[in-house]
Order: sequence, then C-alpha cells, then structure tokens
Amino acid sequence: MLPYIILGLFAGSIYALASLGIVLTYKTTGVFNFAYGGVAMFCAYVFWQLRDQWHLSQWLVIPILLVVVAPILGLILEAVFRPLATASAEVQIVVALGMLAFFINLVPIIFGGADHQLTSIFSQGHFHWGKHVVVTWNEAGTFLLTMAMAAGLYVLLRRTRLGTATRAVVDNRDLAELIGVNAGTVGQAAWIISTGFAALAGILLSTDEGLVTYVLPALVIYAFAPAVLGRLTSLPLAFVGAVALGLLQNILARYSTTGFPAKLEGSIPYLALFVLLVIYGRRLTEVRSSLRPLTGRASTGSPRWQFGGGLAAAVAAAIVLPQVLGVSIQHDVAEAMAYSVIALTLVVLTGWTGQISVAQMSFAGVGAFTAAHLAGTHGSLFPLAVVLGVAIAVPLSLLVGLPSLRLTGLFLALATLAFALLMDNLVFGSTSISGGLTGLNITAAKIGPLSLKTYTAQFYLCLFVLTIVGAGVFWLKRGPVGRRLQMVRDAPDAAATLGASLTLTKLAVFAAGAAVAAVGGSLLAVTQQTVDPSNFSFNQSLELLLVVVVGGRLLVAGALIAGGLYLVTLLPLPSVVDKYFPLLIAINVIFLANEPDGTLAVAIRQTRFCLAVLYRRPRPDVLLPVPSVLPPTGSRELSGQHG
Amino acid sequence: MVEPLLAATDVTVRFGGLVALDHVDLEVAPGGITGLIGPNGAGKTTLFNVITGLRQPNQGRVLLDGSDISRWPTQRRARAGVARTFQRLELFVGLSVRDNLLSAWEASVSGGVFGRSGAEGRARVGEVLSRLGLVSVADRRAGELPTGLGRMVELGRALCTRPRVLLLDEPSSGLDAAETARFRDLLLEVVGQDAGGPSVLLVEHDVRLVMEVCDQITVLDFGKRIASGPPEEIRDDPAVIAAYLGDQGVTDVA
Repeated sequence: MLPYIILGLFAGSIYALASLGIVLTYKTTGVFNFAYGGVAMFCAYVFWQLRDQWHLSQWLVIPILLVVVAPILGLILEAVFRPLATASAEVQIVVALGMLAFFINLVPIIFGGADHQLTSIFSQGHFHWGKHVVVTWNEAGTFLLTMAMAAGLYVLLRRTRLGTATRAVVDNRDLAELIGVNAGTVGQAAWIISTGFAALAGILLSTDEGLVTYVLPALVIYAFAPAVLGRLTSLPLAFVGAVALGLLQNILARYSTTGFPAKLEGSIPYLALFVLLVIYGRRLTEVRSSLRPLTGRASTGSPRWQFGGGLAAAVAAAIVLPQVLGVSIQHDVAEAMAYSVIALTLVVLTGWTGQISVAQMSFAGVGAFTAAHLAGTHGSLFPLAVVLGVAIAVPLSLLVGLPSLRLTGLFLALATLAFALLMDNLVFGSTSISGGLTGLNITAAKIGPLSLKTYTAQFYLCLFVLTIVGAGVFWLKRGPVGRRLQMVRDAPDAAATLGASLTLTKLAVFAAGAAVAAVGGSLLAVTQQTVDPSNFSFNQSLELLLVVVVGGRLLVAGALIAGGLYLVTLLPLPSVVDKYFPLLIAINVIFLANEPDGTLAVAIRQTRFCLAVLYRRPRPDVLLPVPSVLPPTGSRELSGQHG
Repeated sequence: MVEPLLAATDVTVRFGGLVALDHVDLEVAPGGITGLIGPNGAGKTTLFNVITGLRQPNQGRVLLDGSDISRWPTQRRARAGVARTFQRLELFVGLSVRDNLLSAWEASVSGGVFGRSGAEGRARVGEVLSRLGLVSVADRRAGELPTGLGRMVELGRALCTRPRVLLLDEPSSGLDAAETARFRDLLLEVVGQDAGGPSVLLVEHDVRLVMEVCDQITVLDFGKRIASGPPEEIRDDPAVIAAYLGDQGVTDVA
C-alpha cells in the first residue's frame, strides 16, 4: 500500500500546485482561468526548448521561467481579463476558453507539434525507505518542492503587506480600494504567482506524463475538482483536496490496472468535479459577477424577410450547388452543414439562454455512434438509428441537466466540461462503443430506398435537415418560446416572479439541444463514413463553441458561419492555412467575446458606421428622441374606457 | 378587521451573523394600498424576496388568502397572483416593451409558452400599454429606455399577469417630482378602477407619497417591525420619528 500512497502524494502535490494557482486568481480577480492548462503546457515547452534544445543549465532555465516568462505571461493575461472585470460571467468564460485554445494552438506553431519525453529536473535514481519501499528522487523532490511553494504562498499571504492587501481585496474589493489598496496591483501579483505555479506544474507533470500537446491541458483540468472543493475561494481546502485526489487515484490503481476500473481512475477527477458541483449546487456563488446581461444589437424581432430569404437561399443552394461544385467539395459542404446543425443547438443554448456548454459534441457523438453501430452493417436501419440516438441523448441530457441546471454561469460551464471529459474517457474511450482507435465504419446508410452512399445524396440530406432545423429555430425565436428564453437570459428573477419556471425552461432547451445535436451527429457520421471518437471529444466541443462565438452566438446565421469556418478545415487548402487557422479563431474569440452578434454583424455595423460618417448621415439609433416618462394627456380618457 | 389578502408572519432572515428580518409580521388588506417604509437596510426588499419566494426565510410563513404558500416556488406564487417590481430594474432588455409585457402575460397563464390564446394576451397588453402611456415606445427595446420609463414597463409587466397583490419596490426612485405626482395618480387609478384591481404593497422612500396614498403603513427598522397602523398614527409615532431622525433628534425635539 505504501508505494501507492507515495505515488498519490507525488501526483496530488502537483495537482495542489495547479489548484492553488487557479484559486488564487479567481478569488482576487473573479476570473476562472480555464486556460491554466494551456499556460502550463506553454511553459513546459519553453522549458524543453531552453534546456533540452539549447542545452542551457536547468538551474538557469527555471529561474528564467519563474522570473521572466511567467511574469510576462501573467501580466498579459491580467491585461486581457482586467477590462472584463465587470462583464458578464459568460464573456469571461468565453475569453478564458479562447485563451485555452490560443495556447493549445500556439505551441505547435512555435515548438513544432511533436511529443517529447522530459527528464526530471531532479537527479535520476532512487533511494530506499524502510525495507521494501523505493522512492525516486523525482517523487521526493517534486513533493518537497510543491510543499515549499505552498508554504511560501502561505507566508506571503499571511506575513507580508502584499498578503494583507490581497486579503483586503478578497474580502471587499470596493472597501479595500477606498482605504488605498491598489486592487489592480494585487490582481497583477496574483496573476504572476498563479502563472509561476502553472509553469512549475507544467514541468513537473510533463516529467511524469510526457510533453504531449493535448494531454497536458486535460491533466491540469484534474486540478479543477480540488479548486471547486474549496468553492474556488479556499486555498487550504483546494490544497487538501488536491492531495486527497492524488491519493484516491493511486490507491484505486492498486486494485485494478486494467479494464473499466482503470479507466475510472483517470476519470475520478472529472467525476469528483461534477459531483462536487452538484452537491454544492446553489451554494456556489461567483465572487464578482455582474448582473449586466449581454445583448446583441440584432436580437429583437427577426424580420420576416430573413426567414423568406433563408428559405430561398436553401432552395437556390439545392438547385445550383450540385451543378457547380465538384463531387468531393459537395461532400465537404455536406459535412459542414451537419456541423451547422450541431452549431445551431449552441446558438439556442448559449446565445439565447446564456448557458455555456462545452459538451455539445458529446451529445453529437451519442448520435454518431448509435448510427454507426446500428446502420454500419445494416444501412436500412439508419432512420431507426437516428431516432434511437435521440432517445439516448435526451435522457442523458436530463441526467446531466437535472442536477446541474440550478448552477449558474461558470459552474454550469464547469459541469458540462466534466461531463464531456467523462464521456471521452468512459464512453467514447471504450473499445466496445468506439471500435477502438480506427473507429467504426458507416458506408451504406439508406433512408428507405434512398442510398446515402453518394456525396450528392449526403449533400441533399444535410441541406434538408439544416433547412428544417434552421427554419424551426428561427420560427421559434419569433414567438412565445423566443420571448421565454430572452426572459430567462435577461432577468431570471423577474421571469420567475412573473410565473416562468427557470428550471423547466433551461431543462427543455438543454434536452432539445441534445436531441438536435444527436441528429447532427448521425449526419456527421454518414458524411464522415468513419466515426472516430476524437471527432466528438471535449476539444471538439470547445472548438465548436469558439467558431459559434466567431460566427455570432445570437444569430441563426452564426451557426451557418460556424459551419463555413469548419468547412475551411476540410478543404484542401495550403498547409499554412491549416497551421494558423485555429489560432486565428482563438484570437478572434478573445476579441469578440463581448459581441454576441459575431464577426459578420460587427463588420456590417462598422461598414455602415463608416459610410454614415463619410456621407454625414446621422446614425438613426443615436438621434431617435426618447419620449418623456409622462403619459400623454389624452391617455387618461383612453384608459377610462378600459376601466 | 378584514381577513388579510397577504400575510407574512414571524419572518426571520439571517445573512450569516446579520439578522436582516427579525420576527416580522405584515398584513396586506384586500383592495387597498399598504405602505412599507423604513430607513436604508431595514429589510424591506428582503421581505419582498421572502414573499415572492426568491429567498427562503430562516423562519416564518407567508399566507395568501389564508393558505400557506411558504413552500411554493416563485413561479407558483406568481401564478397565484403575487406580482412585483424591482428596485434595481430587472427588464428583459433584449425584448421590445410590447414583448416585455406579452412575455409576462404568457408566463402568467398555463400553456402561454406554446402561444395559447395569444389574442387574449395581445388585448391585455394593448390595454396596459395605453393605460400606462407606453404606446409610443411599444416597439423600442426595453434596454434603451431611461429609468422612469423602465419603471413603467416593470409596472406594466406586473399588471399584465392580472395580479391579486402587487408589490412595488421603490417605484418613484429615479423619477422627478412631476413624474412622481403622475405616478401617484396612475397608482390610485390602477387600484381603484380596475375591476378586481390588485391590492398593493408599496415600498417607498418618498414618505410624502406614502402618507398620501396608503391606507395602512408598516414601519421596519433594523429588521424589526416598530410600528403599524393608518398614516395619521404613524406620522406621530415616537418610535418612527426616532428611527428616521435618530434618537438624538427626538431628544432635541423633546
């Protein structure tokens, strides 16, 4: 047992470092740093570059990281998030997720995409403890180093002026500023320390797990659960929770090294995250949340002509596109349209009700794998498979939604993140469901007599479904359903005091979104022909959210633009496009988070503004007179008629 | 005394160590305007939150027409006829004024979200819009309106649900003197003329307005009820004067 406890303390102490870093910035600035894993990975690659490529001494490299690189990164992050201090939680989350994608995509560009092995910063070898127990210097060193860092943080917060100032800001920001504490400086210090911890955690984790682009951020998400244990504000609880988590994982590893329990070991942190969120429920409140809801400028009353125009465009596309597009491009367009169907669910969920989900592709995956299992061999079962996919996705969404939809903003986003990672590990990661690394084939799907083998048939099917779903969503937005969603988004308390049930509304949207995502997923399966678990992972859900934000999360058209952006990654374009495209999306998201209408709407607005300035036409919305609060004199008589 | 339409009995709310409401009783008689006044931080808005179910009290009950609604969720209380406005505006900023009112009507009837009997809702909304003088701004987005108009929209929204009891949280804050006067007339008209019009519970800083319109007044101070009665009594109550002017003021006057 003792060796497992030692392993557990080793792993737990690295999680503790990350948890402390995450909690520190959250409690001082109100920003939950989703990008923490990205920062840790970036720093680990810098370390690899300096030590293993340029052969600098690591006793030079580590100080460089902690004194130069981490502070610069920390200050950059602080500068990005500071203007968002009073923005809605939704904007902060979107920007933080954009940052995560930024770092994930930046690393391959700067350092190349290859994976590396990192040797420990401590000396090789081991020593014996007692008779049977072998402890490596890496384990011992890591544990002692992290304990020293945690102790250092404690002393800093308890014994220094900066610590006093930090605690004052945490306690009451406005009051602290009134007595002359500079909350900005405190925030900067918190970001610098937090990023330093991220750098160390990144290096220590890479020593253990290897330096792999996508793995490291997911590992750092392990630290989210302990952070939530301390309700994102308690450093000691986060620390204890992290060590306990490491112990729990490794003690479990003692009892099983294969099969489902082994997978469970890797999933425990995500499971813990989800369970903690559900248990805390409404007791989780954000330290600084603005009640100011986001509104787009194009969100009231979608005019009828857009509806007609959209339908006309769909018909035109059905007639013209197959004539002018080559067959393989038709196929790519079909796949992009299937993607748009899934993106539409995010428009309704995130745009219209303000709930951020990073699990939409998991629901799509349910549809896709159901289709592959059922229709992979018997193509004619495809329609049944779609229905079954929906029938599985909806109860699943209720299972996730019922406990977690009482959560707000950040905490709901964290719950969907935990769910997506659990699906990746436990469901899509299981060979019996996913068909292993190669995935499952679905090549002969049919709808009745209609074979979906040809690209043209797939094109028509996807266009048909996208048109139906798009028109349906558009139509709903104009009516009572649209009004109900806007109520819940803009002023939930007021909506409840007028008679609207928040839980029922959110749950209905969440379940409907899961259902449509499952349909989209089965379409994606038909177009991709090979259903691969990595196409439905958390990373894909994150990517989906980002392209929808760029497209415009309040607009039906935003989902179409999202599909268009996805199309770019499918087309055979020069490799330089593939290399920089995801990074550009991430940067776009960071700048556009405040603009729920998305890129196109912003571009149109700015063009209009420029034209107006050029031609000296006043902007109509600026000069419209605001009527007085007083009812016109005639109204008394008028109301008398009704009385 | 007439059986109260709405009653809160023995309500206690604690925020950590702070006692926001300390065994407070409150009655709203049917068909009248009851005032709820008290200095800042006396617990008026907290009491509103308890009555509408946005906050669970540590102790105490809320009765509507004699039946205990303490365990009902907010939306069920709303459907039973409890409507309110907010001190800090809670408009549906992305919707037009008309849609703010329409969505309120839809929320208050069962099946409203499926667009059932939309004609009836539109008629009600049209009626309220013209009564409150909002017709000219009906298609403006609520988020663009100045505070005064925003308060009117909140009032209209509450009226669209055909409430039995209407809770108004500082409706005159942000209004100038003329607007306040006009609001007073509107309030009396709404309560008086509407067939089966709502009873009103009014939280208000403008003591003159309260004295003018209310039949009964309850005074809170530091979470405790210090007085309750008709306006004439409240005006001369030494405890109320002390709460508003401070003990020092009373001794000076004395």
